[in-house]
Parts: sequence; structure tokens; C-alpha cells
Amino acid sequence: MINYFIAILTFVMIYAILSLGLNVQWGFTGLVNLGHVGFFAVGAYTSAILAKLGFPFIFTLAAAVLLAALFGSLLALTTLRLKEDFLAIVTLGFSEILRLFLLNETWLTGGANGIIAIPRPIWQYIAKHYDLFYLLILSVVLVLLFLFLERLRLSPYGRMLRAIRDDELVAAVAGKNVFRSKVQAFSLGAALAGLAGVFYAHYLSYIAPDMFIPLVTINVWVALIAGGSGNNKGAILGAFVLLSFLESTRFLKDFIPILSGFRLAAVREILVGLFLILLMIYRQEGVLPEEKIQHG
Amino acid sequence: MEKNDKGLTRRESLKVFGAGAGFLAMGFPIKLNAQEPIRLGTLCPLTGAGGPYGPQMQEAISRVVKEMNDSGGIHGRQIQLFHEDSQTNPEAAVRATHKLIEINKVIAIMGTWASAVTLAIAPICYNNKVFDISVSGADAISDLQDDDYIFRTQPNTFVQSGVYGQFALEKGWKKIAYIAIQTPYAKTFGDTFKKKVEAAGAKVVEYLIYEANKPSYRSELTKVLGSNPEHIVIMGYSPDSIVIFKELFKMGYKGGVVGPGFAINQKVVDNVGAEVAEGIYILDPGTDPQSPAYKNLVRLLGTTDINSYAAQTYDHINLIALSLAEGKVYFGTGIRDHLRTISNPPGIEVGSFQEGMKFLKEGKKINYQGASGACDFDGKGDILSRPFIFSQVKSGKMVTIGWIKG
Amino acid sequence: MGDQFLQYVLNGILSGGILALPAIAFSLLYGILRFPNFAIGTYITAGGFIAYAANVTLGLPIPLAFLLTMVLCGFLGVGVDQLAFRPMRERRPLTLAIVSIGVSFILENMARFIWGNDLRSYNLPVQRGMEWGGVRIGKEQLIILLVSLIFMVWVQLLLKYSRLGKSMRAVADNPMLASVKGIDSEGIIFRTSYLGAALTGAAGIMVGIDTAIDPLMGFKLILSIFAAAILGGIGSATTAVGGAFFVGFAEEVSMIWLPATYKSAIGFGMIVLVLLFRPAGLFRRTQVI
Repeated sequence: MINYFIAILTFVMIYAILSLGLNVQWGFTGLVNLGHVGFFAVGAYTSAILAKLGFPFIFTLAAAVLLAALFGSLLALTTLRLKEDFLAIVTLGFSEILRLFLLNETWLTGGANGIIAIPRPIWQYIAKHYDLFYLLILSVVLVLLFLFLERLRLSPYGRMLRAIRDDELVAAVAGKNVFRSKVQAFSLGAALAGLAGVFYAHYLSYIAPDMFIPLVTINVWVALIAGGSGNNKGAILGAFVLLSFLESTRFLKDFIPILSGFRLAAVREILVGLFLILLMIYRQEGVLPEEKIQHG
Repeated sequence: MEKNDKGLTRRESLKVFGAGAGFLAMGFPIKLNAQEPIRLGTLCPLTGAGGPYGPQMQEAISRVVKEMNDSGGIHGRQIQLFHEDSQTNPEAAVRATHKLIEINKVIAIMGTWASAVTLAIAPICYNNKVFDISVSGADAISDLQDDDYIFRTQPNTFVQSGVYGQFALEKGWKKIAYIAIQTPYAKTFGDTFKKKVEAAGAKVVEYLIYEANKPSYRSELTKVLGSNPEHIVIMGYSPDSIVIFKELFKMGYKGGVVGPGFAINQKVVDNVGAEVAEGIYILDPGTDPQSPAYKNLVRLLGTTDINSYAAQTYDHINLIALSLAEGKVYFGTGIRDHLRTISNPPGIEVGSFQEGMKFLKEGKKINYQGASGACDFDGKGDILSRPFIFSQVKSGKMVTIGWIKG
Repeated sequence: MGDQFLQYVLNGILSGGILALPAIAFSLLYGILRFPNFAIGTYITAGGFIAYAANVTLGLPIPLAFLLTMVLCGFLGVGVDQLAFRPMRERRPLTLAIVSIGVSFILENMARFIWGNDLRSYNLPVQRGMEWGGVRIGKEQLIILLVSLIFMVWVQLLLKYSRLGKSMRAVADNPMLASVKGIDSEGIIFRTSYLGAALTGAAGIMVGIDTAIDPLMGFKLILSIFAAAILGGIGSATTAVGGAFFVGFAEEVSMIWLPATYKSAIGFGMIVLVLLFRPAGLFRRTQVI
């Protein structure tokens, strides 16, 4: 029984990191990224491919995060000047084209087969309680990230990002290099998604292009908005809410028999859609609103 | 409350006795508690790309189990089924597998369809000594370091493509086009097929791998038809094949078509219409409509419109049940260790659980012959090559024509 | 290869013909409401299924089913607008875009709940195509193209000469000025939502006839619709047609050189290039709104 919760919590941690990354882009800086799953994929695949070639975990982790950040910068440099609703479409396009690349370039990525038997770091020493160990490591990483991002939020840099989010023109007039900051924030968010990808790949020991579809991005968005955008705690809370929702609907069919198979899936998606709409209409800030910074 | 000589009250001795029995029951679940149900899990694709097939796959298993339970279960133990939807999504399937194994405590999982799903859940299964049997086709599954816990009833690509090549050559096909969607086996299948037929003098004039789920394939097909193929081998899923067949027809293609059951089924035929579907061949691992197992399945489901995966899941549950009945070790390990005993020759051929149980009770060795084929497994848990059956669409119905040895 | 090329061109024209109506609808809606309506794909799905219910379940002939579908889809569009978008008139485009994504989830899954995932077809036999000079075209495809052209022309005339059309353009060009001149913008939004959804529903039937009906049918097209509208200059219903044909053409003709596995890359590639280098679309010279 407890192993189930360990497993679900592990997913929560991974989605929490994804959510924190999206928060840097959207919550802090107001950048729309509908292609978040693309950076998740870059991180996962980079680490997986390198690990299978024999490189140690620390190396593959670093390479994956750097590559995700690089992709983030490139995408940001080329597209951040677009209006936000178009930026949404373009970032979505990025993640879809990346997925096609992962699917078709079998020589590099294993194609539709995916990559199997991805080595789990230091498995040989802790095989018995590995899942618990992995969860603990992830929790530590998450806590460190949270602390780092909180400091970032409260720092002058964080204030600047918020200023850009709220009114670009004013920020520019105040002498800030708006564009460069946006690119940096976007890349940081992408790097975090890449980090989440690394832990994802090594946890499951298997990745395939099918796991990196736009639905994942939408789920992260739902998590972030539900928890409260701008708010790091909310990002983590949102991940809990998301996984709880996804898992609890599983048990619905035991109580409402006609809801089986595709009907259950349809109802689940309808609930997600309704949730998005209602959240947008009534509480755009989400469950945990952004905390106002006390000055002086 | 009187004390007996040894200093325990009746109530206390009852407690001790009860605790002891309970302790023993935990330690020896095989023998002591005959009422403990056997827990099995299904993880069929009820939604997602496998959605068209999953519901019937699950239903086949449900109905077999109901009948098994009604006739006394396995040596008096009832089977408890736990259903989950893999959503044809590896991550969702992993979470579902954790639930099945850790909350529902199943000893086996049946019916995973997408190769990515089977590959994703395999480590969880074999690390927990849970038996898994799937309908997935990717070759990577044969090579899993799975301690023999992962089996499948779908023949791997080399077998399939070899048979297709044989079929094409026997029919005298010379100019062939190969159309497939991007799956783990698309390229291996195509390459093996091409090698086989070209070695015998035929030619694969077009080799197209296309993107699934597009609204139209006009130009992809224009390209294929540009090389004037006389026959087409299609390896895609039914949503796309419906679109492709309609397009081919409109473009005036009159040549032959052959494909597997997941590309061409009754629904596809109904959707495209009898005229378009006329003459299309279906070549599938031996789902012999005349076999006792298949007839039993038809009776259970109440229809002859059975997809090839449901025939396999019917076999999954029967194989597992007979394996448990024969070995009487009610764990994943037990299923694994006794599966080949009841499914591989020699032995009395049986096509259903009831039939198999009858002979097992008499102490005889059985050889389960399934609805999806002979169900004989090799050392890796793969299906041994076996006959393929080919049918043709005639006046809107699929008619069995003959067999090809695998 | 010469007449093969012609076939690709014809394929492109057919694709464009089907895309044109949703692209016009998308641009119309964008012009008036100023956000990309992601639910447009599901209006196609709705159209396909309503026509299915009319034609197969109720037994109505296709032309009647067609009209009924357009009428009902129009109401769907209005319903969606009143329920989901109207409470958000003042909000930023991105919020509305997200809401429209939520709407698309709901509509697609309502179709799935009712009809399941199976593919369906209308009571319409598939026929051999006709052939001239080495190119083939199906009979229904020709009819689809003609019907589409008729609607395209009708919409252009509507926009150019009718009072509704002029009001639509006025609101699209300058909402503030339009309201000063007494144009009732809510009324215009109402009519535009109706028209847009009705046109898209019509496209849904066309897609259903040309290929098949299933809950994903609209989703499969949404990328191309976006590309068509953006290429044509988003917000401009008149040039959306040009965008649709351009996209249709590019997607089909590129199959000559590009691996078929990257078909989606065409649509996205075009969107990115246009947005980066000619954001007003290929056909307009003025700055997009």
C-alpha cells in the first residue's frame, strides 16, 4: 500500500519541479509557454541517451539541464517578441516538432520504441528500498529548488521580472534590459523542466515520445494555475492537486458503474476543462494568491 | 470464566489459537485459507490510440472469469478482477500498475496493448514478481531482462514480416508498396519484408512511413501511387486506414491490399463500404474461427465481430487460470513457472478453462490451444512462430481463405 | 512527374477548400473578439457528429442534414460565447485563449461520451474518382469544393456589402469608434459567433465525408486552421481564404520532398516564419491589429 503512495508522491515531486519551472516563466515574468513538455523531453532524452552510453549520472544530469536551458534560450531569442497569444501557438509548435523528431529519428532516440533500461543512479547499493530513496533525493532537490526560487523571487532580480510582467514599458523606461531578462527567465524555466525530465527518465527507466505530448504541458498549467501562479508554494501545491485529481478519478468508476472506459476518461477531461474555465473566470490567481511583498 | 490447568482462560486460549491461525495464514497463504480470492489485474487501452480495441479486450476477460467463478473458481478459489485503463499512455499506465500491484495486490496483469506501455510497466512487474502478459509487438520486449515474468501472445516482427513476405510471394506479387505508421516495428517489419520479397525477384516500389492522426493522406498516397504499385501492404491503425482506403479508392487504385487485423477489421469495412473494401486481404496470426477456443469466445461475447486483441486476452486469462490450476502456486512466480507446462505440447489439446480443468483433475497433461493461436511459448516468453490465417473481404464480410505457415 | 505535380496541386486545392471555411470563421472571431479561439476545432467535430446524428440516426438525406447542422452549430457557437466568453469580455486575450482550450476539452469529450471513440461514416457510398488529363478527383470532393467556394463568395459579399458585414469590419478595425457610431457590439458578437460556428460546422461535414467522423477530427485540423488564418493575416476574413489555399498547397506539395512523418512540421513551420517575418500575414501590408 505504501509503495503506491511513494510512487504517486514521486510523480508529484516531478510535476512540482515542472510547475516551479513554469512559474519562473509565467508567474514571475509573464511569459506564455505552451511547449513546456518540450524541455521536459530534452532533459529526459539527453540524460537517458548519455546514461546508456555509460556516462555517470552527475554528468548526464548537468548535460541535460544545460541542453534544456540552451533550447530555452534559442526558442526565447527567436520568439519572445511575439504577442502572447501567438507565443502560445509557437511554443506549442516547438514541443510538437520536437516530439516528431524524437519519434522519427530512431538512430538517436530509439523512435517509437523509446529508450529502455535507463540506468538508475547508484541502484546497485540500495536496490531494496530504492523507490523510497529516490523519493527522498527528489524531495531534497525540490526543497533546495524552492529555497533558491524563493530567494530569487524576493531579490532585486525577482522584482525586476515582476515589473516586466506587470508593465514592460515601465520596466524598459526604468532602464532594465527587458528582452535579456525575459530570455534568462525563460531559459531558467526550461532548465528546471529539463531537470524534472532527468528524474523522470531515471525513475521510470523507460521513456518514449508518447510520454511527451501537449497534454503534459496542459496538466502542468492546470497545476500551476490551480495552486497559484507567481507563488512557489502554489506551484508545489498545484502538483499535489493535479495528481490527486488524476488518481482519484480512477476510483470513481468503482462508485458510478456506467462511468467506465472511455466515458470515465471523457468525464475526467470535461472536469479539467470546466476547472480551467471556472478558474479563469473567477480566480485567475489560483488557490494561493501571490504574496504581496512587505516593504520597509 | 474457568481457568484450565495450563493457566489460560477459554477466551484467552481462543485468542491465542486465533492469533496463531492468523499468523500461519499469513505465512502460508497457499495452503491455509482456501477462500482467499485470486487477484488478477487488467490494463487494457480503454482510451487513447488503443481505445477501439480495449473495451472488448477487457470484456473477454470479464466474461471468462464470471464463468470460471460460477463453476467454482480455481480449486475452490474465486478470481477477483481489477480493471484499469492504460489510456495508451505509458505514464498513466505506470501509475495504474502501482495501484494494481500495491493496493489491489494482483499477482498478474493482462492486456497491455501499446509496446510503450508494456515496456514502461515491465520493470515494476518483474521487480515485484508480478506476471505480465501483453499483446504488444515491439521486438524490444523479447530482450527485456525480465526474469521470465513478461510474456506475450503477439508474434514479434520478424515472424510477422516473414509471413507477409511469404504471402506476397505465394500470390505472385511483383510491384509492392509498403505503408506504415511510425511504430516500434514499422521499420523492422518493412526492412525484413523488403529483403525477403526482393530476394525472390519482387520489388518494393514505395516505402512510406507516415504520421498518424492526420486529417488526410492525399499527397502521401499520390506519391505512393506514382510508382504504380500493384499491391499494397498496410501497417497502420484503423482510424488512418479508413481514411487511406477511401482515398485510394477515389484515386482509382484497383490493386491488392493486405494488412493485419488491427488495420482492417469489420468496423473499417463498414465505414468504407463494401465496394471500397472488396478484395482486401487480412493476414493475421492464426485466429482460427473453427478452433474450439475461438468458438467458445464467440459464445461468451455473443458476436463474431471480435478483434484480434480480444482473442488474445481471452487466451491470457485462460493461460493464467490453467497455470494456477496446474501448479497451485498462487503467485506471479507460480504462473511463470507453470505456464509452458499447460500451453506447450505435448498434451491433450484444450480450448477453454473448463475443459482444461477436467483433464487436470484427472492428472493429465494439457496443451492449451487458444483463440489467437496455438499459444506455445519460447524461452523468452514470446509466441513461437505459428500459422497465420488470411481472409478476404467479400461483399462487405471477411471470409477466411487459407493458412500460411509461420 | 509532370502530371503528378498537377495532382499534388489539386490535392492542395482540395485541402485548402476544406480549410477555408474554418479559417474564415477563426479570423472573423479573432477580428471581433481579439483572441485565438482554440475551440474552433471542436466546432468541426460538433458539425461532423450533428450531421451524423441527422443523417445516420435520423435518416435525413445529406443536404438536409447539412442545413440542419449549420443551423444547430450556429447556436452552439452562440451558446459557447454567452457562457464562456461573455463573462470575460474585459480580460486579456491569453485568458480567453485558455478558456477556449477548456471549452475545446469539454466539447470534444462530450462527443466522446455520447458516441465513443469509434470512427463513423455517413450513409454515403464512396465513389471512384473522375479523371481528366492524368489527375483524379473524387465526386464528393468536387462537390465539397464547390460548396466551399459558394460559401466563401457569400461571406465575402456579406462582409463587403451588407450592413452586418460592414458593422463586423468596423468593430474589427476599431471597436471604440464603432461603439461611438452606435454599433451594438454585443449584437455583432452574437451574429459573428453564430456565423463562425455555422461555417465551421459545415466544414465538419465536409471533413466527415472526405475522411471519417470521430471525436478527434477537429483537433487534427486545428494546426492547419491556425496556420491558414495567420498566413492570411489574422483578423482578416477576406484574406483567410488565401491563407487556407496556401497552407493546403504547402502541406500537400511538400509531401513530394519531405518525409511524410514530418507533415505537421509544415504547418508549424509556416506559422513561425510568418509570425516572425510577416506578422500581418502574407497578403496584407498594414500592421495587424
